Amino acid sequence: MQDFLTHIDTLTTKFALTAVLLPLLAAIVNYVLPAKSKITGWISTLAILGSAVLCAFIFAKVWNQHEVHQQQLWFSIGDTKVYAGILLNNLSVLMLVLVSLVALPVHIYSTAYMKEDARYGRYFTYLSFFCFSMLALVVTDNLVLFYAFWELVGFSSYLLIGFWFTKPKAILANKKAFIMNRIGDIGLLTAIITLFVSCHTFDITQLFGANALVKTIAIPTNWQYLACAGLFLAVAAKSAQFPLHTWLPDAMEGPTSISALIHAATMVAAGVFLLGRFYPFFTPDELTILAIIGTFTAFMAATIALTQNDLKRILAYSTISQLGFMVAAMGIGAYSSSLFHLATHAFFKCLLFLVAGIVIHEMQHIKEENNLEIDPQNIQTMGGLRKKLPLTFIAAVIGGFALIGFPLTSGYLSKDSILVRSFEWAEDRNGIEKLLPLVLFLTSWLTAFYVARMVYKVFFGEFKPAISNPKINLHISDGGWQYKLPLILLAIGSLFPLFSYNPLASENAWLVKGFSSADTANELSIYQTYIPVLVNLGVVLVLYWAYTIYIGQRRLPISATAFLVRFSYNEWYIDRSYQRIIVKPVLALSRFACWIDPNIIDGFLHLLSKITLAFAKVTEWLDKNIVDGFLHLLAALVLGIGNFARRFQNGKVQYYLFSMLAIILAIFIFKILI
Amino acid sequence: MINLSDFLLVSAGLFCIGLYVILTKRNSIQVLIGIELMLNAAILNLVAFGKYDKISNGGQTFALFAIVLAAATTAVALAIILNVYKKYKTIDPGKTDHLKD
Repeated sequence: MQDFLTHIDTLTTKFALTAVLLPLLAAIVNYVLPAKSKITGWISTLAILGSAVLCAFIFAKVWNQHEVHQQQLWFSIGDTKVYAGILLNNLSVLMLVLVSLVALPVHIYSTAYMKEDARYGRYFTYLSFFCFSMLALVVTDNLVLFYAFWELVGFSSYLLIGFWFTKPKAILANKKAFIMNRIGDIGLLTAIITLFVSCHTFDITQLFGANALVKTIAIPTNWQYLACAGLFLAVAAKSAQFPLHTWLPDAMEGPTSISALIHAATMVAAGVFLLGRFYPFFTPDELTILAIIGTFTAFMAATIALTQNDLKRILAYSTISQLGFMVAAMGIGAYSSSLFHLATHAFFKCLLFLVAGIVIHEMQHIKEENNLEIDPQNIQTMGGLRKKLPLTFIAAVIGGFALIGFPLTSGYLSKDSILVRSFEWAEDRNGIEKLLPLVLFLTSWLTAFYVARMVYKVFFGEFKPAISNPKINLHISDGGWQYKLPLILLAIGSLFPLFSYNPLASENAWLVKGFSSADTANELSIYQTYIPVLVNLGVVLVLYWAYTIYIGQRRLPISATAFLVRFSYNEWYIDRSYQRIIVKPVLALSRFACWIDPNIIDGFLHLLSKITLAFAKVTEWLDKNIVDGFLHLLAALVLGIGNFARRFQNGKVQYYLFSMLAIILAIFIFKILI
Repeated sequence: MINLSDFLLVSAGLFCIGLYVILTKRNSIQVLIGIELMLNAAILNLVAFGKYDKISNGGQTFALFAIVLAAATTAVALAIILNVYKKYKTIDPGKTDHLKD
């Protein structure tokens, strides 16, 4: 029996390995194929389909049963042995299924969405590589490999955000995403090193598993804080939490299908997944800080989303807001609700992005057909699209309701579970912690407003360019099956039946039950009855109010130039203050360094060369005048002596005799003197 | 009384006169005469120092030999001067300066 179980485990591990490696294989094959080859899309899609099937199988094997953990020796340094392997517990298999299931519709959608692109093959290479990195991240059991795949996720998102690298904004956006993620990577690396120093292992099960080393070993407080701060940074960077969230709205410069994947299951989910993996590490105080950060992010992003005009930016800020909900849920100990929201959010956010992709695609089409001067992403120039794009409209409504957390959708189950848990958490607390649930509560109403604004402006009313110019041709449609199928699949995933048979109670959802052991208190309370009711009453009112404003032409209660509106429209001036506080000094420092190079360092070199030159001139003068002069002097002396001696050789006898006389006289005089 | 030093002084005077004649005269004959004067100064010295050799009269004997030799050399020198004159048409020692070649 034991042998049999081990055999089954080995099989599951092999399946997991195959599921992870299939997209990598597809990426390699696509990399070799010519860039325009249309077959690449189907190779990637088949690979992810294979992964999805295998993941579903693994999920059935592992979910709520014993976890599978197999590893082998990777390398050893001295007495330290480092093992690497595959860890399949509830969290990993949930993420496996989620990533592969959300990536599949995105792949199908991309085959149509990117078909005009000259670098079609390269796009699918990156896409498959992205999926591989994320799948590998969720199954690895070793922190070093975890870090490696964490980096790879960041790197592949960098490639995809900057996919249209001829657009200067795309280059800026992917650079920004990369740099901000590097900040988080440093945090994660710090945390991993600190953990290794304290616990002497990279093994995730040993560190955070049943007998978590992080609980049994007394880690010095300072080290604990350092590691925790590193993890906060890592989560904030990957999951776009304040203050490192600004890369996510800019990442909209990539293809919309990529935004869908980044926002749904892969990139931003990695941060929440990290929290899930490292959860036992955090102390209650740190969790409270996490809750505050998450709540603040949720609220801030929701207020920003209220006034944005770019369709994709609204969705980006809604993602940040929902990620704030997830992080806050982790912080208040609602582990299961957080992961539940991660799962439901993946489906409806992916759906909304695919809708946005279709709308932008069709707006671009209208713009090119009629030579209009409009921004195809600006919701102010849209309107009335529900008649032209019926399926897209329905998908948008379902996704929007799920985002708002309206009953009968999956978003209702997960978001209200977070709200209920937050009220329960705050019950016996004071001060700012008491405020958190109220802020989250308010945020869900704000969510309702911006979603309503977006849907009304895009799909209701009249098509704006057509009002001034009635001759505009509107040859648009929902598109082929590659567009429709993903929408239908994801729309079904955004409704309640996938997660719970009871559309109104989240505590019975299978996903929540799978993680309930990690939760803190989970008793029924009165909040579970009236919080959802209150929220949804408010939501209905907000939806109606928004309807009267955007459809009924009622005036906004606040003028467009009011400070709050500008504050929101300019994204709380966060980017600008970063520009002023961080980017400018860094640039100034760089410029200073740049100035130092030609002026100080080169100047020093120039000075040195000048000194050498002067020295050389002195040497030259010395050479010419002293050394040569001495030689010339010698020569002149010899010449003079020669000339002098020559005079005695004039052939005159008497002169010779006189000379002899003179010499003899001289010798005698010399002798006398001596 | 005539002393040895008087002889030597006369000899030295003769020698100097001969030297002067040799160095200054523009005529080879006169130079030859100067040589004879110097030779005679030397012979005078030999005779004067002969007083220390009264038994064998070595000084006087040497003087006689020297006179004979001087006559011989003078004859040779005159012959040379004659040949010089034949070749250069002059006996000025300052102009016959081909010794330097």
